[in-house]
Amino acid sequence: MTTEHHHPTPAQYWKIAVLLGVLTAIEVGMYYINRAYDLGALNAISLVILATLKFVIVVAFYMHLRYEKSTLSRFFTGGFVLAASLYTVVLAALGVLVIRGP
Amino acid sequence: MADVLHEAQLDHPEHESTGVDNRKLGMWLFLSSEFLFFGALISNYLLYSNRAGFAGTYPSEIYDIPFTSVSSFVLLMSSLTMVLAHNALTRADINGTRTWLFATAALGSVFLGGQVFEFTEFIVNSNMKLTTNPAASAFYVLTGFHGTHVAIGVIMLLSLWGISRRPGGLSEKHGMNLELVGLYWHFVDIIWIVIFTVVYLLSVPPA
Repeated sequence: MTTEHHHPTPAQYWKIAVLLGVLTAIEVGMYYINRAYDLGALNAISLVILATLKFVIVVAFYMHLRYEKSTLSRFFTGGFVLAASLYTVVLAALGVLVIRGP
Repeated sequence: MADVLHEAQLDHPEHESTGVDNRKLGMWLFLSSEFLFFGALISNYLLYSNRAGFAGTYPSEIYDIPFTSVSSFVLLMSSLTMVLAHNALTRADINGTRTWLFATAALGSVFLGGQVFEFTEFIVNSNMKLTTNPAASAFYVLTGFHGTHVAIGVIMLLSLWGISRRPGGLSEKHGMNLELVGLYWHFVDIIWIVIFTVVYLLSVPPA
């Protein structure tokens, strides 16, 4: 049932963890840089990109989605896209999603 | 009799017509539906977090970013120990599985302890209670529900760890059980990745 023969090795899992730790450190660094220099929209965009990277790495490698059948990817991505679209529209309609310029 | 039935179930794969084990498909569908649940709570927080005019303390005024960063790192690393537990079981390394399962439960408990400490600080020292204002309510409901998910995960991990201590309790044949708990645990982690960024790092107090 499982597809272990494609999965990363323990050493690769550790390398992925180091990468996730580095990305988290960059996120926190961005937070303090923004507090000092007020980066405006650049801060929000950078943090969203970094969080997206971490999200995708965990789903692809730790949850093994990239090694699974496409059926699972479609269900999972479908649920995410549905939720993200729905709440983006709702928040935009309520005037919450406004990004300040630098 | 129950043991015979259990063994018989293990010897025969679950029925599936999609090419994917039904239990795994069910878990992925459940996790997919959870996006709607957490999406609603995150949207609720975004709606109220920096709306001016509420009395009392706003959550974004009192966040302890260094502390929450460490908590986030701990939860992130628990995903590593979880996947190492799964990897050990696929190599029939039961001792390794047991160790990494316990490490994952321990890291999850540390995260929960951090959340209890944070809530206590906010309530006692900053006087921000659940009913202080809508922003505070949204914060506590969102992070509280996430914490509840973590607590359920810790219970499942400790249950698996307890089963693994029985002779023959956990073997390669039970890989799917551990895989399903692992999927749930990683999902809790990715939801925190979103919460950490959106709620803690991007929140600003109202002008």
